[in-house]
Amino acid sequence: MNMRINKQTGEWLEREKQINFTYEGKKFTAYEGDTITSALWASGEKVLGRSFKYHRPRGVLSLANHDINVMLTDGVDTNIRGDVITVKEGMSLTAVNTLGGVKKDNLRYIGKLLSPFLVVGFYYKAFFRPRFMFPFWENIIRHGAGLGKVNFNYPRIPKPKLNEHYDVLVVGAGPSGLAAALAASLDKQLKILIVDENKQAGGSLGYDRAGSVTPQSQLEELLSEVNITPNITLRTDAYAGAYYTDHLIPIIEFSGITKVRTKTLIIATGVFEQPPVFRNNDLPGVMNGSAAQRMIYRYGIKPFNDGVVFTANDYGYRVALDLIHAGTNVKAVVDLRKTPVSSILTRELANHDIRIYSGHCVYEALATSDDMAVKGVVICPFDEETNQADSEQSFTIECDGVAMSAGWASAAALLYQSGMKVKYDYTIEQFIPDSLPNGIFAAGKVNGVYDFDQRIADGARAAAEAMRYMGMDNAPVITVQAHSNVSPSHSFPVVPHPKGKNFVDFDEDIQAKDFINAAKEGFDNIELMKRFTTVGMGPSQGKHSNMNAIRILARIRELPVEKIGSTTSRPFFHPTPIGHLGGRNFHPVRQSSIQSWHADAGAVFVDVGAWSRPAYYQKPGVDLAEIIQQESMAVHNAVGIIDGSSLGKIEVCGPDAAQFLEKFFTGKFADQKVGEIRYALSIDESAVVADDGIVSRVKDELFYITIGTSNAAMVYREMQRWLQMWQLDVGLINVTGSYGIINVVGPKAVHVVSSLTQDPLVSKLTAGKVGETIISEVPVRIMCVTFVSNIGYEIHVPADSMLAVWEKLIKAGTAYDIRPFGTDTQRLLRLEMGHYLPAYDTDGLTIPYELGCESELAMDKPFFVGQRSLKILAKKTLKKRLVPFVLADNFSGQMPEDCNLVIENGEIKGRVTSISYSSKVDRVIGFAYVDPNKVEAGSQFEIRTDNGSMVKATVVNTPFFNSKKEF
Amino acid sequence: MPYKLLKFGFGREFNESRYFEDVQTPKKTYDVVIIGGGGHGLAAAYYLAKEHGITNVAVLERGYIGGGNTGRNTTIVRSNYLTPEGVKFYDASVKLFEGLSEELDLNMFYSTRGHFTLAHTDSSMRTMRWRAEVNKHVGVDSRVVGRDEIAKACPQMDLDCSGHAAIKGALYHNPGSVARHDAVAWGYARGAANLGVDIIQMTEVQDIDVRNGKVHGVQTSKGYISTGKVLSAVAGFTPRITKMVDIKTPITIHPLQACVTEPMKPWLDTIIVSGSLHVYVSQSSRGELVMGSSLDPYELHSTRSSFDFVEGLTSHIVDMFPFLSNVKVVRQWAGMADLTPDFAPIMGKTEIEGFYLDAGWGTWGFKATPISGKTMAATIANDKAHDLIHSFRLSRFEDYELTGEKGAASVGH
Amino acid sequence: MKLLKCPINGTRPISEFVYGGTYRDMPDHEIVTDSEWASYVHYRDNAPGLKKEWWYHGPSGTWFIAERNTLTDEVKDTYLFNKLVEQESVK
Repeated sequence: MNMRINKQTGEWLEREKQINFTYEGKKFTAYEGDTITSALWASGEKVLGRSFKYHRPRGVLSLANHDINVMLTDGVDTNIRGDVITVKEGMSLTAVNTLGGVKKDNLRYIGKLLSPFLVVGFYYKAFFRPRFMFPFWENIIRHGAGLGKVNFNYPRIPKPKLNEHYDVLVVGAGPSGLAAALAASLDKQLKILIVDENKQAGGSLGYDRAGSVTPQSQLEELLSEVNITPNITLRTDAYAGAYYTDHLIPIIEFSGITKVRTKTLIIATGVFEQPPVFRNNDLPGVMNGSAAQRMIYRYGIKPFNDGVVFTANDYGYRVALDLIHAGTNVKAVVDLRKTPVSSILTRELANHDIRIYSGHCVYEALATSDDMAVKGVVICPFDEETNQADSEQSFTIECDGVAMSAGWASAAALLYQSGMKVKYDYTIEQFIPDSLPNGIFAAGKVNGVYDFDQRIADGARAAAEAMRYMGMDNAPVITVQAHSNVSPSHSFPVVPHPKGKNFVDFDEDIQAKDFINAAKEGFDNIELMKRFTTVGMGPSQGKHSNMNAIRILARIRELPVEKIGSTTSRPFFHPTPIGHLGGRNFHPVRQSSIQSWHADAGAVFVDVGAWSRPAYYQKPGVDLAEIIQQESMAVHNAVGIIDGSSLGKIEVCGPDAAQFLEKFFTGKFADQKVGEIRYALSIDESAVVADDGIVSRVKDELFYITIGTSNAAMVYREMQRWLQMWQLDVGLINVTGSYGIINVVGPKAVHVVSSLTQDPLVSKLTAGKVGETIISEVPVRIMCVTFVSNIGYEIHVPADSMLAVWEKLIKAGTAYDIRPFGTDTQRLLRLEMGHYLPAYDTDGLTIPYELGCESELAMDKPFFVGQRSLKILAKKTLKKRLVPFVLADNFSGQMPEDCNLVIENGEIKGRVTSISYSSKVDRVIGFAYVDPNKVEAGSQFEIRTDNGSMVKATVVNTPFFNSKKEF
Repeated sequence: MPYKLLKFGFGREFNESRYFEDVQTPKKTYDVVIIGGGGHGLAAAYYLAKEHGITNVAVLERGYIGGGNTGRNTTIVRSNYLTPEGVKFYDASVKLFEGLSEELDLNMFYSTRGHFTLAHTDSSMRTMRWRAEVNKHVGVDSRVVGRDEIAKACPQMDLDCSGHAAIKGALYHNPGSVARHDAVAWGYARGAANLGVDIIQMTEVQDIDVRNGKVHGVQTSKGYISTGKVLSAVAGFTPRITKMVDIKTPITIHPLQACVTEPMKPWLDTIIVSGSLHVYVSQSSRGELVMGSSLDPYELHSTRSSFDFVEGLTSHIVDMFPFLSNVKVVRQWAGMADLTPDFAPIMGKTEIEGFYLDAGWGTWGFKATPISGKTMAATIANDKAHDLIHSFRLSRFEDYELTGEKGAASVGH
Repeated sequence: MKLLKCPINGTRPISEFVYGGTYRDMPDHEIVTDSEWASYVHYRDNAPGLKKEWWYHGPSGTWFIAERNTLTDEVKDTYLFNKLVEQESVK
């Protein structure tokens, strides 16, 4: 049946453009601008979804994303909200969560047959005995729950994020929001943004017309003024997702998120209509009055042919007039209130011969024989005082639709999130702001202001207050009149019915009796009730249900509504896509200045902290283990080269530089000579090992430090902090990115390096020394470091000249079969040398005594970070010690691995931290934590391997290859 | 259909009784006063009454029961810790959880789904190996698995994480479970109340009466209560309570945030955690993805939500599950976590006679609910720390005897 | 995203900053007992309230002190460490 009516002024359709789509396999046409729901309703389709728990047929409730009756899938996307998503050409839609289609959903039998058993919280009371049966029941429950199916092939859609700054952000482009923006715009310096979640601005002014043309012309006037005001930007189809600290409001649009930072925020978000609670208030055809109005004026649809209006406020009368305007035969207005409202509205209705039943309720809606739609309503007298329906005096009116108007709840989510305190205003039966945080203002219905003129005034008042907050003391003082008409909301629009099915929360299928039962079980404060009944926890987050839940609980507890309070409001205002929130997701990686050389040489890269470093260089037909042995043997026998650019590099300069280092590191630096390098260990205040590095004294007042890759930023930061506290005359410069490091190691290294320069410095440089020279026109620092080999030159090169030097070294090394190696081989080489690696051989609690590095602790210094804690720890019994070990010669069997435990008498004594076969040593060598009385070379301990076998290991001295003879 | 539900279908009236009496006015004297009506405090009350016959107990709650971290966590239960003492403690908790629905006659939806802690780097693989070795040693079912096994359990996941942090393997922990967090609090509350414990909501502790190093009572918003024993079980609020008795702790408070998506049909059967990407995710029996991340980076005694959290979390979620781009986050929230320097709780006696601490829970409090209740009840009843919690004593910090849990140094929830 | 004012670089989003914990006065390590030192190292003034805290502006490498209320997250003032030293010496 075609429900479309003639074109309405201000409608959102482009009637010249037709759209074809299918729903549940059936073809439909729509106009451009139709939402899926409006298109279907216009075609007479009323069953648009099935409910979550009982699988009841559902139609339109709010037509505004305040409920999730209409949730669809197009085969690609899921949980598409039909009420607000515009229909597109060729869409092929089905309702989510049905078995056999929305009309023949076989799961509806759950609702019919099982609902008496599925009491509130039923799942807490059953299914767990016997215990082994729970997975069976759980599986059924899991599959019953959930809405749409996720499409695992859905593409990754990273949406961009923008940042914008405003002086005034107005949320809600209804009359109060528009008025607020216009009032603020009088100061031309102010940059103002209005956002509205709807496709078009106007709020209720666009559809709440009471059959009159005035509201639309008022709206057009406001909008045309906004449009010509240069310092106002109006963005529709954009919702304010949440309020975050310091006035950050993410504005969410299809195209992505704009993070808006605003000096002042004006919330003019209006109210959500709350359905009255009566039996079968969820039948397709029963809808909120505002939904019917949206249908008429936005989409040019007659909501029903024969309608009944069930109201508990004056808005129902306005809706009735709008229905008449749309051509609906309004058969009755049923008003819960006893006192008939004598107003223009009633007179107008009387002119149309509409029967008004005051002091009556819709006792229940009657379903058609197929249960798919409403066919009539049962009406009976109702006593507001006792909340009793006199069903014995009931009568029936046939109709195919019911419009409900009982009251409103503030759309105050962002205000709650900002820290608003509320109070309950009995003149309007609504929570309104009592106090608001700095820079935040509320205007219009959300602020309890309903009358049109007063909403305009309230917008201007909020703007003036915002301007004063920004220091504009001359902003006008505007007064807004208190609400003087009858309350727009009814205090308790709940009609009891012995058979129930009077729904409060449509998302979660929660009926009035569920609250009563929950309270019986003791869940009688609002937060516990929310958790037990799950009211407001569905995807619409209580937009249409929270207020009724509070009212019902207040009645149960016999407390005033304000004593019940409300539940916490949390982001997001509407559910927000993960792809929007995650955005484009940048993953910056630091690279050496010669990264492409490594790649060309077959490097396989590994992430080390923020850096990407070569782990090893692939050779065709050679496996990883073999490559590592080859690379290491190249170093042992001739020469290898590694890019160490990722190491942290810090220059410490100034008169107090040495003093600073003495305080920061455990060792001594005051007596370090220019041209010397020293090992440096840093521990934290609790004496836990932080990192280690090499300190070169380049000049008297200039030290150059290299530290581990992963910790570099942290160590530098801590150095800066201590420097502040010590107030020394020192400069710290992080030069990590400025220099590359080329490490040439092995017996032939000296030949390779000295072939590049005439400077005798290189050939004379001995272990522990540093010098500055020029290599092929590049100034470099060279230090002789014995970390991975007895002979090694660390060449520190300005990063932009690194490639040239590197290539020259490679070329010079060709004669010696120079081989580049990566971090995997480096780890083996330093192990062979007997050096522990912080973060590899230590963990988050390792202290120096556990490493046996007492010689690095200059306890005779007056102070260094961690020293005082070391003094305490020195008195305590050590629990474990790191030792170098070897496995038996020709060891075969299950190879122990990193992290295998050292076990003694069935107890954990420690673990293996490094282990590897070494070609050079021709043994399996490693580091392990063991009982402190097993430190002496020759001590033996046992490692438990992955398969449980115990492997004997022997403690040795280092370097491993020097002590080979001892094995 | 279970018998219990038949009763509702065919019974005329809904005759379920209250879970617990809503005691409005506290008695003048209790043997034990428990501050905090979360899972831990209620469990301690339950075990005090059940196992030690101490029933003259009050649980004081400033809001409503289970409204703190009990109702805000992501409900994961596991025991794959790093230190033997940690593993043993949480393993005992897992075992109690397994029988809890029956014990308390309330379905906790305790659902064993397996738990993967993903490793994206060699160093986190090493940590997984370490944890697995210790777990095996203590007899807990954890092992390191490769990509193939992860793919089998969760075929929808992009193991290369969109090319940014490819997964190398994981620690698989078979007993890893989720439970309905609220029900745990309600179940213990009912159990305790049935044994005579007074549960007093909307009652704030304003001061603790300590004289000569001994607890004498508590001052509350509903008057003075005299008692010789007070248990503080108020994770997130611990510093406010310890200030009342003037004892120092290393605890700092950091918000811990989480969020859920709208419901969808079940597809994620296991619990997935990635320390490197700071993500943990499981799918609830309602069909929502429950997702969390690491602690907020700075101290704050507030449960405000932040956009940074949800941006960071979702950016990693789409790395792992690109097809979730248009799945929507419904709600985010925060709890306040007690953070300790060694990532282990602080439990047991204190220097104040009669003042007991159950604190320092970081992000691991929910999973310890039953065992913390049981061990704290024993500790209070005997005035001697239960064996399982000896390593968690407050004095360990002064003694420089921190637990080794921090060794893992990567997040795990 | 919260905002924080670096005394050198002005107001920036909090993602640019690193939290450095509450500022603590180091006791004289030469005279304190082991237990007092352990207390300094491990224990914190952790009840909520207005605290002097270390914060670090990452991009510029600036450490400074923020007076922040850890209950409300309101920042009362930010300044370089020198000013704290001056304040302390005035006392």
